[in-house]
Amino acid sequence: MPSINNNKVQNFLFSFSFMILLSSCSSMNVTEERVYEGGIKTVEVSVAEVDELDYETKAIFANATVFFEFDSYNLTSKSIQTLKSVVSVMNQNKNIKITLAGHADERGTREYNLALGQRRAESVKDYFILNGINSSKVSVKSYGEERPVASGNDEMSYSKNRRVEIN
Amino acid sequence: MKKIFILFLIPQFIFAELVLEITKGSDDPFVIALLSFDGKRALTDEVDVTINNDLKRTGEFKIIKDEKLLSSPSNEEDLDFNEFKLLGIDYIVMGALESEDKFNLSASYEIYNVISKKKIRTSKVFGIPNKIKQLSHYISDGIYEEITGIKGVASTKILYITEIVEEKKSLYELIVADADGANEQVLLKSYEPIISPAWSPDSKQVAYVSFETGIAKVYIQDIATGKRRVAIENTKQISSPSWSPNGNFLSMTMYQDGNAEIYILNLKNNNLTRLTNHYAIDTESSWSSDGSRIMFTSGRSGSPQLYEIKLRKYNSNPERITFEGNYNAKGSYLKNGDGIIFVHRADNDFKIALKYFNENFIRPLTESKLDESPSISPNGNVIIYAVTENGESLLSGLTLSGAKFRLPAKKGEVREPAWSGFLR
Repeated sequence: MPSINNNKVQNFLFSFSFMILLSSCSSMNVTEERVYEGGIKTVEVSVAEVDELDYETKAIFANATVFFEFDSYNLTSKSIQTLKSVVSVMNQNKNIKITLAGHADERGTREYNLALGQRRAESVKDYFILNGINSSKVSVKSYGEERPVASGNDEMSYSKNRRVEIN
Repeated sequence: MKKIFILFLIPQFIFAELVLEITKGSDDPFVIALLSFDGKRALTDEVDVTINNDLKRTGEFKIIKDEKLLSSPSNEEDLDFNEFKLLGIDYIVMGALESEDKFNLSASYEIYNVISKKKIRTSKVFGIPNKIKQLSHYISDGIYEEITGIKGVASTKILYITEIVEEKKSLYELIVADADGANEQVLLKSYEPIISPAWSPDSKQVAYVSFETGIAKVYIQDIATGKRRVAIENTKQISSPSWSPNGNFLSMTMYQDGNAEIYILNLKNNNLTRLTNHYAIDTESSWSSDGSRIMFTSGRSGSPQLYEIKLRKYNSNPERITFEGNYNAKGSYLKNGDGIIFVHRADNDFKIALKYFNENFIRPLTESKLDESPSISPNGNVIIYAVTENGESLLSGLTLSGAKFRLPAKKGEVREPAWSGFLR
């Protein structure tokens, strides 16, 4: 058991509620208070439509997803094979711009996974830049563990979710 | 093992989205006689049940109801302390509900100490008829603090995120509810993920991360008016907001140079101060109660571990504070500063764990496989967290006195609970 500071009843005063405390004698507390119920407003977000890529560009990159080990953002040799083919396509089509979306599996904390997804996407971006792609053609973002493609709670699903999608 | 299914007891509770289930209590509880409130039966039933559940959830009380007592006095004159003493009762609570008029309802209650044979408290709470549960929570907190000397949290609130999977997309909602999971109200609805909700210290505003523009951004929203804004205009991803205890600063994770680093935003003048500078991930900042330290998760040792920076020390370097295991993340300081609560990986399971600074070992507190997002009650006694079991996620709670309870969800996933400050 941790020790806990004894909170004095007198400290209860809050700007939006009130409480009158009268200590009639040392052994009895007399209190009066009013229930505070502040208003609550619901906000609905209108989600911006995502810019759709034209059909041809989309077809080229449809299968470009690379996968990672748990808590890792290192590119595997299989990933590098995939990225090599993306680089050659980009060299042939100088107008193509790509977005790298990093993802993580559901294990571990959400914010760490968001940062991990970002690191994975940055690893892919670094590879592209090292291979001559202009950094202005590559944008990077992360969804962390929020957008799984496989919903199972097993390593098979997890391995599919630890990925960077190239679009 | 006791289970209380409120739904089957009283029809008024059908609106409650979450059901309280108490799985374990303290070994050495206060024994308290909770006499039924006087007044209109239809109303007093709800008061009796709510107070009973609030006190049970703390794990610190053994509650004796009327039917187990030798007599049910409704005023001080009829009270025979010896009868209660025979049953091993420490305290007696009796009260009455009075309808003042159509719009006003009040409750008065008294607490007696059986050993000293004295009235130790007499209190009155004013409320309104359609908020009887809220009025009851105030009474529960009055009883709790009179007997334990610690402020109660029945009248506080929790924030959490729900995800409901629709045909092709998910609906995300940021919800605020009473600490018992009832009285759910939606603060934000979106078809893009919402994560990391955090209360302002005065509990009037919330900060959270929304992906509505396509990337993660921190927003600040006023609860009463719904007015919202991005915390700071920036083209890069921003995440993981945490308010300083005085409400003047918001620490956040920013991705300026592609990597997660912690910054402190001065909410008065929008000045940014960079707190971390390392090529590894730094995120999940949280403040100590006195505002003098910030703890965060960093991957700089090769695996996620917790570090802290002393803010009032010139040129302070981050100090590592967890060493056991290869995953320790999302830490929060205990309110009294004696230790931390965090997510700890043990073998392949993620558990909520406690570490006291004067101990060199970790105390795992939970048993499931994927426990996340612990949040500590404002009185420091209760931890609420998210559990994933069989692909479903729901909220669970545990008290430092050893009680455990659950707030099971009826639809969708429930996750990332965040406990408000005191509201009364």
